[in-house]
Amino acid sequence: MCGMCGLLGGGRHWSNTVAAGEGASARQQRYVQVAHANRVLEGFRLKLVDFHGQSFVLSSQTGAQVIVEDFMQVWKAAEGMLGRPLDPLTLFDDDDDDDDDAEDAEEAHA
Amino acid sequence: MSLAYDVIPVTIVTGFLGSGKSTLLADVLKGEAARDTAVLVNEFGEVGLDHLLIGEVDAQTVLLDNGCVCCAIRGELKDALAALFSRRARGEVPPFSRVVLETTGLATPAPIVATLLGDRIVSSHYSIAAIVTVVDAVNAGQQRMRHPEWLAQVTAADRIVISKADLAGDACVLEKTLAQLNPAARIAWRTNDADASIVLDEAANAHDFADFVRRAGMREHDARGEVENPLARLNATPGHREGLEALNAFCIEFDAPLDWPVFTLWLTLLLNRHGDNILRVKGILALTGVAQPVVVHAVHHLVHPVLHLDAWADEGARRSRLVFIAQGLTRETVADSYRRLCRHLRTAETVD
Repeated sequence: MCGMCGLLGGGRHWSNTVAAGEGASARQQRYVQVAHANRVLEGFRLKLVDFHGQSFVLSSQTGAQVIVEDFMQVWKAAEGMLGRPLDPLTLFDDDDDDDDDAEDAEEAHA
Repeated sequence: MSLAYDVIPVTIVTGFLGSGKSTLLADVLKGEAARDTAVLVNEFGEVGLDHLLIGEVDAQTVLLDNGCVCCAIRGELKDALAALFSRRARGEVPPFSRVVLETTGLATPAPIVATLLGDRIVSSHYSIAAIVTVVDAVNAGQQRMRHPEWLAQVTAADRIVISKADLAGDACVLEKTLAQLNPAARIAWRTNDADASIVLDEAANAHDFADFVRRAGMREHDARGEVENPLARLNATPGHREGLEALNAFCIEFDAPLDWPVFTLWLTLLLNRHGDNILRVKGILALTGVAQPVVVHAVHHLVHPVLHLDAWADEGARRSRLVFIAQGLTRETVADSYRRLCRHLRTAETVD
């Protein structure tokens, strides 16, 4: 916790590092990360918001909320809420199927 | 921004029991090159032996009186490092500029890395310079068969030093095997005229990375069948050989620059779920909108602070490469998962 402002901090986690480019902004990058994370989580009806640039609040549709420090913990907490693993190796397999279906449909149409 | 206090590089020297860690340190940490070095040693088993050997070194030596760094630990290594730093700050010990931490032969490096990266106090004052693993050429085959720590030590290494090569017959096979188990490490031979740099050099400089990329590329070359599988020539038991074969070192390349926010999400997702099986990740990344190469290191669930190198060693080779040493994962599944995540995010973004 930051002694000056009382914020719970995960700001030092590696995923919060800003790439040293022109116009790099930690805050902006964090918003992009949160937006992307929500695109992953929305399929599971979970939602992530930034908390003062230091932590995140992960919440579910049933009103469960948890403060987490960094992205490693975001996924762990999400797994806890869902009661099942979030495995990137199998995640969005369905998208593939959808695409295949779409392609099949197109082919059939042709 | 400059820090008001020093961050001291720590070199972790590991290696199985009797592989020659203390001898290596006692030999190379003499004289001018190793000035300003604090050495942290563990006593284990027939206590005091290490102390006697290291006692010759003309540098600051502090002994941990507990047994094994690996299992006794966290708290105590942390305390030793914190105490060392405050004694330095109070002027009770000479102002050393680096630390060499010799682990016991039975330590796996991951908990030590966890302490150095994860503990708030320790990580503010120390950073990991390199993990150096000493491999005993004579007993390597046997140690690998019997002790899982051996493999953990080899895969975690930034630099591998092969010792007792003069006593072993077929050390070249060993070198090939090590290169295959850990393509991200530089392999050196222990010679009598080795200087302190074999221990004290930092791991992640641009030269090292160019070299590692070349080796990773070479390995793919080998995989096409030009070189026989060195594992085949080892006296491993069938069960153990299975274990070794399940261990897979592979390199993923990305032609297009990576988007850092997407990459962070993907790697945290992957390490959260599969960190137990991912012994090592080492990579050099070309990021969108960033001219400098970015270096990522991970051991199991832990990712070292990200480094920015000054420039690409070879402008033509501006591609991201990630080397994984993992159990039960393949290049295709891992590469596919990144591709799928990117595509999902792109699709979702257009819908938004």
